[in-house]
Parts: sequence; C-alpha cells; structure tokens
Amino acid sequence: MGARVAVGRRNLFSERRRGLLGVAGTAAALLLVLAVGAVFDGAMRQITRYIDTQPAQLFVSQPGVRNLHMASSFVPLEDVEAIEAIPGVGSVAPILFAQDGLETDAGRRLSYVIGYVPGRAGGPAELQTGTEPGSGEIVLDESTAESLGAGLGDRVDALGTSWRVSGLVSELSNIANGAAFVRLEDFAAARELRGTASYLLVGTGREPREVATAIERATGLEATTREAFSASERELVSDMIGDVLRILTAAAWLVGFAVVALTLYAATRSRLRDIGVMKALGAGRGALSRVVLTQAAWTVGAAVVVAAALTVGVSSLLARTSSPVTMALEPGALVRVAAISVVVGTAASIAPLVKVSRLDPASVFRR
Amino acid sequence: MRTLAVRAEGLERVFGEGDVQVRAVRGVDLEVRPGEVVLIMGPSGSGKTTLLSMLGAMLRPSAGRVEVDGVDLASLAENKLPAFRARRFGFVFQDFNLLSALTVRENVELALNLAGATGRSARERAEVLLRDLGLGERLGFLPEKLSGGEKQRVAIARALANDPAVILADEPTANLDSKIGHEIARLLRRIASEGDRSVVIVSHDTRLKDIADRVLWLEDGEFRSMSEMATDPVCGMAVEREATPHYARDGRTWFFCSTACRDEFAADPHRFSVSAAVA
Repeated sequence: MGARVAVGRRNLFSERRRGLLGVAGTAAALLLVLAVGAVFDGAMRQITRYIDTQPAQLFVSQPGVRNLHMASSFVPLEDVEAIEAIPGVGSVAPILFAQDGLETDAGRRLSYVIGYVPGRAGGPAELQTGTEPGSGEIVLDESTAESLGAGLGDRVDALGTSWRVSGLVSELSNIANGAAFVRLEDFAAARELRGTASYLLVGTGREPREVATAIERATGLEATTREAFSASERELVSDMIGDVLRILTAAAWLVGFAVVALTLYAATRSRLRDIGVMKALGAGRGALSRVVLTQAAWTVGAAVVVAAALTVGVSSLLARTSSPVTMALEPGALVRVAAISVVVGTAASIAPLVKVSRLDPASVFRR
Repeated sequence: MRTLAVRAEGLERVFGEGDVQVRAVRGVDLEVRPGEVVLIMGPSGSGKTTLLSMLGAMLRPSAGRVEVDGVDLASLAENKLPAFRARRFGFVFQDFNLLSALTVRENVELALNLAGATGRSARERAEVLLRDLGLGERLGFLPEKLSGGEKQRVAIARALANDPAVILADEPTANLDSKIGHEIARLLRRIASEGDRSVVIVSHDTRLKDIADRVLWLEDGEFRSMSEMATDPVCGMAVEREATPHYARDGRTWFFCSTACRDEFAADPHRFSVSAAVA
C-alpha cells in the first residue's frame, strides 16, 4: 500500500504553536516521570556502591541483620578465628559502622562512618587524593567534604571526636548519606567498643553460598552474599521512599495524560469542520481514527524523545557537579515510559474519537 | 450505458416529533440523467440542503428511496456509505471546504486516498486534474494562499478525483464574484457534458440557469413549477409571485424577495433591469 496524505500530522503541526506546546507539555510531564525514576535508579545504584565495590564475597552480621542502612549489628571479634578456620574462607576483615552527623563550622552532613583496617577489605575502593587514614585521621567522600567545606588537612567532628582529613574518595555519597572512613581502632575508641565489630567482610575462594552456610552453621551469625546484601539494602531503601516515588510518578502521569488529552481534544475540535469534510468525502471510521491516533502518536512520540534527551542532559549536568543526587536513565525505564505513553496517548484519544464519530457529515453544508 | 444517474422517489425527511416536527422535504421525485445539469433553487429553509444531503448519502430519508448509479442507498449498511460516497459522488461546497492544513495537491490526493488510491498513482492523478484546471503552479500552495476562484477549482478537482457519476454542488458560486462565478458555472457544465456526469446544483444564483438543463424550484420541501416564479430585479433572486412584496407601475408588476429590495427599486426603478416585470 502506498503512502497516504498525513492528515493527522499536518493537522497537529499546521498550528505550530499549539502542536509544539502539546509536545512540550507532554514532554515536561514525561521528563518528571523519567527524572523521578532516574533519580531513584541513580540513588539505588549509589546507595549500594560501597557494598558493591568491596573485595569481599560475604557480609557477616548479627543474626537477622542484612543491611547497613539504619541497621545495628554487633559481631564478636572472637568469631574471626573460627571463621578463618572454615574451608573456603580466604580473608576476614572486621568493620565498624555507624550513621553519624559529620560537622565543621561550615556545615553538617549525615554520613555513613566506617571503621576499617587500612590495607584490608572495608575501606574505599580507590582514593581520589591524599592517603588512607592514619591515627586520628578521616577520609571523606568528595561530595561530603564539599558540603562540609572541608579539604585535606582540615578538621571534621564525627563520633564525638575531632578528625584530620587525610584523603578524599569519589562517588560514595548517596542522596541520603555522605561517607567517611577512619581506622577501626580509632572508631572503637571513639565509641568505647571492645572486642566487637559491626560486620565481618569475608573473602572466599569457593562458591560464596556454600561458605556462607558453613559460617552460619559454625557461628550462628548471619552470612549473606554481597549481591544478596546489596539487594536487601536496595529493597529497604526502596520501601522507605517507594510511596513518595509512586505518588510523584502517578502525579506526573496524570499531568501527562491531561496534557495529551487536552492537546488532542483541542487539535480535533479546532479541525471539526475539516473532519466533517472528510466524512462527507467518504472517510470511514478507520480513516478518521487514523487521523486522531496519528496526532496522539506524534504528540507522545515526540514528547518521549524530548523527555529522554532532557533527562540524559540533566543527568550528565548533575554528574559534573558534586551533588550527591545522581540520575541513571535505565533503558528498561525508557521502554516502560514509552510503553505507558502509548497507552496514555490511546486513552487520551478516546474523547476526540467519540467526538469525531458523532459528527454529522451533512454538517459541512451548514454555514 | 446508464439511463439514470440519480433517481429519487417520494423522498421525505422529517425532523423532530410532535409539536416541533418539521417536514423538511415532502414527497420529492427527481430523476437526473448522465450528462445533465439540474439546478435546484428555492428560498432559504426550503429544504434544498436536506435534499442534497439525502441525495449525497449523508442523510437517510424518513420515507421514499434514492437510487444512485443503479444502487439503492437504503440497501447499503451505514458503514458502507462512506466508501460509496467516496467513489460515486463529488462534492462542491459554497465555502470550498478545503482542508486548510493540506496543500492544494494533498487536498485532491486525500479524496483519492479515501477511495483507496494511494502513493504515487494518487499523487500523479491529483496533479493531472489540477493541471487540467489551470492550477499546475499552485500544487504546493496552502488554500489560504489561493483566490476564491482557485479554491473552488481545487474543490472541483477534488470532486472529480475519483471519477464519480454524480457531482453535488451546494451554492458553488455564492462566494465568488460575477466573472469567476461564471467561469465556475461553465466549468460545471463542461464537467457534465464531457464526463457524462450528472451535476446537481443547489443555489440561489439565477446566473446558473444559463448552464442548467433543468431548473427546479423547491419551496416548503416540495418542487413547484418555475412558471410561478419571477426574478427580483434588485438582487436577482428567484421569487414566488404570490405572497412576496411587489411593485406595480405603468401597468407592469415587479416581484421582490423582501420589502428592502422593493423599496430600493421603488426609489429609482431606472437603475435596475425592468425586464423582470410582468405586464
């Protein structure tokens, strides 16, 4: 079948301002949907970055604890030897963990504070600048340092103690928390903890799940693979902010639906005379539906492209700043938004389609 | 060879019910042969448009039947009527009714698309028709850039696009000046003669009598004899001799569509053609 005259597209964009406003309005709503989703995905990716970058396959914690965020875990250090003796265990590194406010004269930032043994698992994957913490020293995430107005050599209060900044790491802050690292013994001294760790990070030479089972059997502690620990962390945070996210997303979809519906209805209404002429000339239901649905497809399709481009643009701009907010536009999210947009566009076409179907072709004779 | 392109028998159309019932068309019989131009005149509200809508398969009659090109319209299901209209009729409207978002060529091509012709063949057919009507230089223009005469020629090209048996024209010269109106009238005549098409024109314009094979007068939904009609010397409208304002002088009588026309005439009769008088 050959090409037909693109009446829908021509109708939509013949009044360019209205057509572009429709696309822009829809794109704004979709941008909100995509941006909220991208911020969420970015936050999820970032929130487990510390866990995901650890050179350990298992996280051993107090029974029932499978998270860092908002969790409290105590593991006796005396279990370290027992775990090291389990076949398949390569290394065991204790860490202490707390959520605490870091303070300087310039500001305060809620952070994960991690006590670790330099040179072993539990520390930052890579230092951006400076050195690992010595006694009385702290390593900060760059974003955290910036929000505190602190640089190398400056002092920061944490865990009720004053620390000197010895190094900076990158990309470990997330939307809720900064990140800071001190030596394990300094952390223990600051919190007056003896013979205990929060978690043990275990490197394995075998299938991690088998080793985890053996650790649990030998110690009664909870041993979780890094992937499962990371997933549990994401699930917890997702549960905490999921409702807000869903409300925002639903509101954005409602706005998008309203804009698309209004645009299509206005475009159809302004062309009722033309549609009446088409009916008089012999346009059947299929041809008229094609006109309305083409308008919907163009509005929604152009809006998806514009919204995706803007989301990518905003996320790359954000990445150039030290903002703890990161955006990750996942291909799956884009496909999902595009698919829902098709449904929204189709639903928004119903009122114009009804209007068109009820139009009397003989109305073209009326003046 | 077809003997009749359009046949209407006992055509009636009633709107509303009870006290508000209106019989817009009452028992109209009409036969139009191929190649014939039939002009239907009548005052506003006489039922011309309703009749045209029924003849054009846009409105079902309350009673009676319409046969077009041998097909009884009543035998066609509602969803078959659009395709029938697209292939068997060409429509020409007073307001041209070109789609303002489409170019001249696309307006004609659209009519072809609606009848099933698409792609290059439709585009080429549209261009040939438009060139034949002297619009070869206007193919890519939007309707707003055209004069009234050009718009009506585009509308005629669109009406001819699917080589229909019947052209229905609603006041085709009403929005055109005298010269262009005359050109359009001659064009409609040529279309009927050369294409062996039936052309049914509904109009107030008495100039169209010149190109019509038959002139019918519709009033109160019924055809009346033209011998009972006179022409208003001021506005040129055909008027019924009874029950209309008139003016008598020197043993002659003139008939008018309104008292305004009569008063204008009475103020200075010599300004107007007096040939419409009845002795």
